[in-house]
Amino acid sequence: MAAKVPNRSSDAFADPREIAKWAGRYAKNRTIPFLIQWICIVMLGVFIAAVVFLTLRAYRSENVLWILLCAAGIVGMIVAMAWFIVPKWGGDRIYRISQWIYGEEGYAAYLGGSGESIKASSWVYAAGIGLAAYHLLGVLLIAGRYLPFQYTQPFSALYMVPFFIAMTITQRLGFWAFIWPVLYGLHAVLILLGVPIRFTDVNLEILNMIVPVFGYGLVAILVGHLFSRYALHRLKALVRQGLVETAEAESEDQS
Amino acid sequence: MELDRIIHEPARLRILTILSGLDVADFAFLCTTLGLTKGNLSSHMDRLEKAGYIEVRKSFNGKIPHTDYRLTQDGREQLAAYWAGLEAIRALRDQPPEPPIEEGD
Repeated sequence: MAAKVPNRSSDAFADPREIAKWAGRYAKNRTIPFLIQWICIVMLGVFIAAVVFLTLRAYRSENVLWILLCAAGIVGMIVAMAWFIVPKWGGDRIYRISQWIYGEEGYAAYLGGSGESIKASSWVYAAGIGLAAYHLLGVLLIAGRYLPFQYTQPFSALYMVPFFIAMTITQRLGFWAFIWPVLYGLHAVLILLGVPIRFTDVNLEILNMIVPVFGYGLVAILVGHLFSRYALHRLKALVRQGLVETAEAESEDQS
Repeated sequence: MELDRIIHEPARLRILTILSGLDVADFAFLCTTLGLTKGNLSSHMDRLEKAGYIEVRKSFNGKIPHTDYRLTQDGREQLAAYWAGLEAIRALRDQPPEPPIEEGD
């Protein structure tokens, strides 16, 4: 296997650490699966809002047709949520859709990113439960008028920002994943400083949470995707530098 | 200085270097990134697998066959040894020539 050979291949070859680095950067910024998840969550949100609307309509009208529609909507909502939460169903489908979108570009996962190397530790589960409990506490504080409604987003940011930064680090995601907590945190600071970035109309109050959560999420995902295009371009340029394809790999070795 | 001949081949060196920065990559990714033909890439991957430098996992996405590649621990170590060897060669090459020994000293 070992042979005395001159320095044949590597003089025109870029620094190997650069190739490995850009390969990793590309893989860490493949955000199409996150974009599909984002779309699913938004659709789920719209679906839940529609079911709530139907329920109110059925309750008020006492019409059998509306009640049946409402029941069907609730069943559909439960099925949709189960599909999304169970990795074997939703996760597999999201993976396949992502693969279809990436097409000939193929699949690459960063070190620890294929889902086999990282096992969620118990603190991740505890922090996730804490996230839900914290926001439930927020709802109770608002309901009890202990927390002014306009501070809902800053209250949420107090937990969400460190939580998502910790998750980004432990899951070894690309830099794009830091964008969301940073923007969400900045949004909270601006609200606390009194900068007029809130929806003041009572009917639009819910948008003060929805827009930062989903809007900054979409920004982060799109930035990651654009960076992955650049990283792939750099990777191809580095890899193809000085590489002349031989007719057959075997003939190359025999020469 | 001896270098691993399997790794020294330019395309295989690049394949291993790409895989060293990743957990796993599939055939399509390597093919489009390297710009190699399918037959050529397949031949290189066979050689790397036989050498024990990469692990191959075949599966199906529905009815479409799918092949994933991962660098083995041995492959990672051999690649690191290769680069260390190459650095040593470069260091030797870059050394200034020794001054000639003058007679009578």
